[in-house]
Amino acid sequence: MNALLARFGRKAKPEQNEESYYTAGQLALIKARFKQKTSGIVAAWILGTLVLMGFFAPFFSPVDPTINGADGEYRRGEPQVVFFWDKEGFSLRPFSYSYQKTTSKIDLKALAGGGLDALDALTSSGALSSSSQNKFTVDKTERRYLQLFVQGWEYSLIDLSVGGLDLDIRWDRHLFGVDKGQLHLMGTDEDGKDIFSRTLHAIWVTISIAIVALVVKLIASLFVGGVSGYFGGRVDTILMSITEAVRVIPPIPIYLACAVALSQIDLTPVQRYFAIAVVIGALDFATLGRRLRTHILTERNQDYVLAAQLCGSSTWRIIWRHLIPSFTSYIIVDTLINFPYVILAETSLSFLGLGLTEPVNSLGVLLQKAQDPDIQQNMIWQFFPVLVFVVLIMAFVFVGDALRDAADPYSEKK
Amino acid sequence: MIIQFFSDTWLLWILLSIGGLLWWRGRDNQYFHYVFNRYWLALATLLLVSGIVFSLMEVLPGDCAEKYIAYKNTQGETITQADIQAERVRMGLDKSLPERWGRWVTNLTLRGDLGFSCAKRQSVNLALGDRFWMSFMFCMAGLLFAYLIAVPFGIFSAFTINKPWKDKNPQHSQVEQWIGTVMLSGQKVLDLLLRVISYLGLALPNFLLALTIILLYVFAGEPMPTGLFSDQWASVPWFGPNGFEMEKLYDFLGHIWLPIFVIGWSATALQLQTVRALVVDESSKLYVDAARARGVDGVALWAGYPVRHSISPLFNSIGFDFQRVFNDLPIVAVVIGLTDSAALLIEALSMTNDQELAAGILFLVALVVISMNFITDVVLAAIDPRVRKSVLGS
Repeated sequence: MNALLARFGRKAKPEQNEESYYTAGQLALIKARFKQKTSGIVAAWILGTLVLMGFFAPFFSPVDPTINGADGEYRRGEPQVVFFWDKEGFSLRPFSYSYQKTTSKIDLKALAGGGLDALDALTSSGALSSSSQNKFTVDKTERRYLQLFVQGWEYSLIDLSVGGLDLDIRWDRHLFGVDKGQLHLMGTDEDGKDIFSRTLHAIWVTISIAIVALVVKLIASLFVGGVSGYFGGRVDTILMSITEAVRVIPPIPIYLACAVALSQIDLTPVQRYFAIAVVIGALDFATLGRRLRTHILTERNQDYVLAAQLCGSSTWRIIWRHLIPSFTSYIIVDTLINFPYVILAETSLSFLGLGLTEPVNSLGVLLQKAQDPDIQQNMIWQFFPVLVFVVLIMAFVFVGDALRDAADPYSEKK
Repeated sequence: MIIQFFSDTWLLWILLSIGGLLWWRGRDNQYFHYVFNRYWLALATLLLVSGIVFSLMEVLPGDCAEKYIAYKNTQGETITQADIQAERVRMGLDKSLPERWGRWVTNLTLRGDLGFSCAKRQSVNLALGDRFWMSFMFCMAGLLFAYLIAVPFGIFSAFTINKPWKDKNPQHSQVEQWIGTVMLSGQKVLDLLLRVISYLGLALPNFLLALTIILLYVFAGEPMPTGLFSDQWASVPWFGPNGFEMEKLYDFLGHIWLPIFVIGWSATALQLQTVRALVVDESSKLYVDAARARGVDGVALWAGYPVRHSISPLFNSIGFDFQRVFNDLPIVAVVIGLTDSAALLIEALSMTNDQELAAGILFLVALVVISMNFITDVVLAAIDPRVRKSVLGS
């Protein structure tokens, strides 16, 4: 499979002639090298699909993930399987069955009679155990057919409103759904919220936290590295000894302390969400900051910097317009490689109940539920977000690996 | 009197005498001069770390006096605001942050006193006991596990990185090309598999991994390997009436593998990436080409040239690897039910808001990282000629 894909990728590439290789820009070279990494390409496709599905989550999810869309009739329900055929014959259009809750009959009269036997019978019948609450009877005679572009709850497809301009594009169509009731591809949780839809919505929340954190991290690192590398001397010594000190302290306990402090302040979920992202990003400047400083220290003595200085450019202009563009590719690669680590930090905080909390949909919140013994034993389908999480992180790591190799200008074979 | 004085300031004398010895040896010896420089730089960094840690812990809500008074309140005494204020003055909490930090650092450098934990109501040194060493051993064992897997696999991964899937060597005959293609594809697939497995350790959050393993035990109906010992062995001493208790050792090993495996696996992914990148970097350098031109080939080329040269940066990063592993330990400790310092740290941070205990543990971690960095720098400067040349300048 991989060999096949690799061949495909190689064939699609135009004939490389000597001339174009030497005149190609940095980005074109990276792109050309990246195309040769089969695992990277496969991972990039998976990653792209996941991010796209996350970004347009309302469109791709058949059910509203908030409490408004919770299916009261189908709490703790198992995944509803989609079939193409059954005993009654083959159907080109996939369908699911309708599910009914079996309400276990509790013989109140016998209980009121005061017989201990009746109580014993009730307990041993399992009507009170939590696993029996997951029992639904499948009505195989009633098919519910899958439909494309069904009408459902209204959502904002993409919000482009800037300033006074109202460009909030709203839509109420969803990629797929069933004609009667709701379809729960991955089952539901205790409140009847659809797991599949929640997971899709969670992807973008988690990725956007990571993006905010990485942007903050980038700004902090650029500031520390740029200032320290450009000015050198005493400024450099002081800033670098502080970074060195920050680097040796394990970050998760520090995030924890900050999260505890944040929990004292009364914040809305959205503010809390950004505060956590900013904390994670702002404390993580040490590694990248040091690298940038080393790079600037070597670059600042180059002739083009001297030329800019003689032309009268200001310090900030030289840093931003001349020095930083010289290692954009490095910054991009480093940012991508750091994605999984930032996502993991958010997850760990959520796991301890100090990051985002219910009812926000984030992968950390959904993963946290996996530690509940009830879910582990009776609702194994709630591990679906774990699967998505693992695939997402793996895709990030593999794309990062391939990009790192591709961005290295010396990796080309001679 | 004098004994009292020395027992109160023993750590300072040790630090000073090491510094003095290094300075004395470094007057006419360039290497010891470098070691002396590293030594005082490490001490300065430690001072800075203590400042950062101490002031960061101020963000935790509440202070010692409030907690102490709250405790007294539960004992049935009525407490007024004035009492809290008096308690603050008694504990020195009314002083400014730099003053308190100064006192903390002074006690620390004089006799290794990490302060007083209010939640535990005992000194931090006593509360920690040998628990920090326990965490240290966990981390080192996890790191060893990670290195054992990451180093060989990382080198292998770097070896296959720029290889094609198909053998197109025109000097080979048809059959040779066919066999070569099978070999190359096999290597590529193996590399991919190894990377997927090691990255799984990163992608599966370690708390989830620990939970899953515990769950498997539950489903199998076996006793869970949480904690350090089973109940029956927890209180049995290591040396019983009939010599060393081997049974206890087996029991201990049956429990200890879980945290080490969990943190080790999650550390493997990053190590593998590092080893891979290091070896790839080295393998594209000119001296490798020169060796190849001299006719060195195969394993001898790889082991003797790029791999050998990428060991020292790897060795140099042990300190930060330790920090990264310790970073993961608290959450694993919570899930598995360990009682080491990482679990204490989580408890101090998120439950009891015990500033001094948390600051003490974080400072100790930083101390270990900085000492490891110091040791690796010094050792590398002694044995690696490239490092020696760059730091000693001769």
